Amino acid sequence: MKNLLVAMAIAICAVSTAGAGEIRLFAAASLREVVGELADGFARKNPGCRVSRNFGASGSLARQIESGAAADIFISATPEWVSYLQGKRVLVPSSISVLAHNSLVFVAPREKRVASLQELDSLERIAIGSPKSVPAGEYALEALRRGGVEKLLEKRLVMARDVRECLKYAERGEVDGAFVYRSDALLARGVIVKFAVPRELYPRITYQMGLTSSGALNREAAAFHAYLQGSAARVIMARHGFDPLVAP
Amino acid sequence: MIILDPADYLAIGLSLKIALTAVLLSLPFAFAVAYLSTFVSFRGKLLMEAVVNLPLTLPPVVVGYLLLLLLGSKGWLSPLLEHLGVRIVFTWRGAVIACAVVGFPLMVRSMRIAMEAIDLRLIQASRTLGATWHDTILSVILPLSRRGIIAGSSLMFARGLGEFGATVIVAGNIPGVTRTIPMAIYDYAASPGGEPLAAALCAVSVAISVAVLILHERLGRKGRG
Repeated sequence: MKNLLVAMAIAICAVSTAGAGEIRLFAAASLREVVGELADGFARKNPGCRVSRNFGASGSLARQIESGAAADIFISATPEWVSYLQGKRVLVPSSISVLAHNSLVFVAPREKRVASLQELDSLERIAIGSPKSVPAGEYALEALRRGGVEKLLEKRLVMARDVRECLKYAERGEVDGAFVYRSDALLARGVIVKFAVPRELYPRITYQMGLTSSGALNREAAAFHAYLQGSAARVIMARHGFDPLVAP
Repeated sequence: MIILDPADYLAIGLSLKIALTAVLLSLPFAFAVAYLSTFVSFRGKLLMEAVVNLPLTLPPVVVGYLLLLLLGSKGWLSPLLEHLGVRIVFTWRGAVIACAVVGFPLMVRSMRIAMEAIDLRLIQASRTLGATWHDTILSVILPLSRRGIIAGSSLMFARGLGEFGATVIVAGNIPGVTRTIPMAIYDYAASPGGEPLAAALCAVSVAISVAVLILHERLGRKGRG
């Protein structure tokens, strides 16, 4: 019995520290595919390194990290959650940098006729990320507010847990359209981009990333963090539909 | 004391409305199923009981997904629903149905327990006095299973207030339309800095549940001689 308890205690301890060559990445849901390719590219140059990934709404991830979830690198779709964790002394300030930008679009099934924010009135249900934790939802809500249609669409917004759930709602036809990133729209099936949300209606979508205190001590994590800022990574990101880092 | 966001008052009102509607809607069906289970034997009875009890053992999310397959815009019943011009998923109606389905076995169980406790001789007596089967139901079975009906209703109401998994799949999280208390709490819990509001809503949830339980005890006790 005592041996069993000792074994369990060791197993529990082992779970909370990264194994050798393991990089624990918490990244915004919209980065799912591009991170896959980036991790593969990194693993080719650094055999033996494994990137374990946790995708979700940036706000939810920040909450998890704040509550003690083990992570080395955090990539958020908005600087807000990075600043939040920096304020809680969870992220190393010197490691915070910008990864990429993106833009907001509205997708809908082909047969729907809608070409601007004002024309959204003709739709019954619109999917949007939950603004409290999903940056895409925050940006979209801001655009609706500044575009003057927030009140109009009040009871028609279906809140999704992250931007990919938004896209799924639209693809399944459960909603008439959804606000997603341009990079997500490239992966969409059954729905097309109806219009790009005017840039002046929302703050610039900035993906920021940082190393946690445990991540800074993890050699491989620091290397991956550096790799993400390199030119090879930039090319991959551009290919997946993310806006380049140079100012437009 | 944290003041709740106006959207949260909406969520509370919505939770109450949806749970209450689900209970009222299910009462006749649950009574029918409980009656059949207790007093009637027929082919396929076991199958009916298994199907009725299924939501009790399945994860609510699975129940929600099955309902979506059935009632969604591309679901099995969608031709019929389209013909009737009725939209279920992602509407208030979908939330009511999700609550009703998930809580149905609870209501049936409570009613069955009460019905099974009825002295068969009373029913036989009513028959010998010339009552038809529906007369017997109204004058003997219904009054004597009253405690079970009340218990089942409050249990289902409480369960409906806390229903999240099936509802979020079938009805989605639409503030003002389908966003109930559990969804609001989930929203706050998932967002950094949302603890005070989540805690406030939890307190409201507990208060409502306690009120329902007290009411349930009171109504149950009134029947005693």
